[in-house]
Amino acid sequence: MDTCFDVKNLNLYYGEKQALKNINIDLYKNKVTAFIGPSGCGKSTFLRCLNRMNDLIENCKIEGTILKDGVNIYEPKTDVVELRTKVGMVFQKPNPFPMSIYENIVYGPKCHGLKNKAELNQIVEKSLKQAALWDEVHDRLHESALGLSGGQQQRLCIARAIAMQPEVILMDEPTSALDPIATSKIEELIETLKKDYTIIIVTHSMQQASRVSDYTAFFLLGDMVEYDTTSVIFQNPKDKRTEDYITGRFG
Amino acid sequence: MSREVKDNILNGITYLCAFLGVLFLGSILVYVVTNGIKLINFDLLKNDYWSQNYLVAVTDNEPKEFTCDSCNGYFSTKWGVSFTDEVTSHKESVITIEYIAPGSPFENLTSLTAGDLYGTQIPVDEGYTIEKLDYIDSEGNAAIGGKILKQDAKALQESLDDASEITSIYIQSPGEGIRGSLIATLYLILISLVISLPIGIASAIYLNEYADKSRINRLIRQGIETLTGVPSIVYGLMGVSVLFPVTTVFGATGTSILLGGLTMAIILLPTIIRSVEEALIVVPQSLRDASLSLGATKSQTIFKVVLPCCMNGILTGVLLSIGRVIGESAALIYTMGTFISDNPVVNGPATSLSLMIWSFMSAEQPNFELACAISIIILAVVLVLNIIVKIVGKKLSKNFV
Repeated sequence: MDTCFDVKNLNLYYGEKQALKNINIDLYKNKVTAFIGPSGCGKSTFLRCLNRMNDLIENCKIEGTILKDGVNIYEPKTDVVELRTKVGMVFQKPNPFPMSIYENIVYGPKCHGLKNKAELNQIVEKSLKQAALWDEVHDRLHESALGLSGGQQQRLCIARAIAMQPEVILMDEPTSALDPIATSKIEELIETLKKDYTIIIVTHSMQQASRVSDYTAFFLLGDMVEYDTTSVIFQNPKDKRTEDYITGRFG
Repeated sequence: MSREVKDNILNGITYLCAFLGVLFLGSILVYVVTNGIKLINFDLLKNDYWSQNYLVAVTDNEPKEFTCDSCNGYFSTKWGVSFTDEVTSHKESVITIEYIAPGSPFENLTSLTAGDLYGTQIPVDEGYTIEKLDYIDSEGNAAIGGKILKQDAKALQESLDDASEITSIYIQSPGEGIRGSLIATLYLILISLVISLPIGIASAIYLNEYADKSRINRLIRQGIETLTGVPSIVYGLMGVSVLFPVTTVFGATGTSILLGGLTMAIILLPTIIRSVEEALIVVPQSLRDASLSLGATKSQTIFKVVLPCCMNGILTGVLLSIGRVIGESAALIYTMGTFISDNPVVNGPATSLSLMIWSFMSAEQPNFELACAISIIILAVVLVLNIIVKIVGKKLSKNFV
């Protein structure tokens, strides 16, 4: 199976505190991989390593390698902007720009110098359709994105990420701020998106992980305890701590 | 003391203080308006401050018969001109031309002053004042009339009707308007904003988006905060000593609007930096993250997402700045000057409206009415500019909600 990210001996420190301890993991292409674990276990931190969003945090030191297509993304000569166009991200809280729906989608392509109106229109339609939002908003593309409901906003953020034609979409607890109906819509969306994209999702909800993901990694206190197919993790975990967590004994 | 009583006392104090604040503001406004409203008219806005004196002769020196139906003043039927008594904003009584009948000899007056103007036509219109009239009366004797003889409009009209020939008229164009100073004030606002806005916004961006928490940056921030408290007269001194050489490059030889504008730009910087920075801090980090995660560069993020979100902060900065510039006087006394210029140029001396108030009030006989009238105009200008800035701001942030 093709790997998308090949992580070797990754250590991450916030100042003196070590947040990730010696992570080794292969993330597969065109699969949904879920990171689960209790709060503060480092799963979001690890996710943000994959598109180097941790660069923005002061005092954050990273050791080890993350290979993407055989190249270490932490090499000094890596173009971070280029990396982030290939590795898109959806955040915990819907964060559309305070612009129109249309402007939100074309923001990324425009930043990369795309000016052709027809092409932009096409991107908007395609992205919104892929994010299952087109039917709801096609008649008000030029209205403020802030007028959408929370679930719609989150799907808009997914559409915005899709507009860049990334290879990978990172999702950092994308449904934690949404109601159950909006959540189920996003989950359906993830199901359809995995045909075209590699999806890595951080989630608090074990049901969600078991519903949407093909692979699951369990994190605890900065360690990656166990990583296997979702069915193995949830039905036949090898590690005692994983079993305790998924059976609800802590966390 | 029971809790209820304590609450009532505290509430009472807040209500009282709020009421006092409104009362003070209201009474200032009422004082200014009641004193100054008499002098507010379109002429005040339109006219030059300095009036021109002309010694003129009548080309068509032949009395005829004229009529005027709508004249309120004293109409000379023989010469076709009507006079009224008026008091200027400097409390001088003058005889003003109210109306010139079509075909009147007063329509065609030529200069008698030796020099370039000699023989050219002086476009005398309503509003000009008659200082002195030299004429030949009906008995053929030379006679004089006009303000110089302490005549009023009625006496002047009688003298004129008695005249068989006019030798010369000493005439004065209307003055005491504030057009020049109004324009100079607008120039001043424009220059100071054009210079300080880009610098201020860029500094705020640097401090908030790029600067790390090093000691030097802390020092810079501290410095900017200190600058807010420096008295403007000190900035004025700095303007004279440091900025004056800069303005000489643009042809200024002394005080100038440009020097005033540069000085004001520096006075405004801390205010603009503060208001923009406060707006930048409020922009949620999640928007920056979203932009960066889409592969935008840091500067794209700042200029396409963060800065448009700060439009309100920038507008606040602009509005505060306009208020500051229009109200400033101390720093401008020796940078922009107190000379009232009717045709202000950027590299020449002029005075702003506030400085005008200062000049009128520091004269030997303070002119309260005129000062109040100018205050009303200042308030109106601030109001108009604020509305314009708000409309422009709305237009600018149209696709930004």
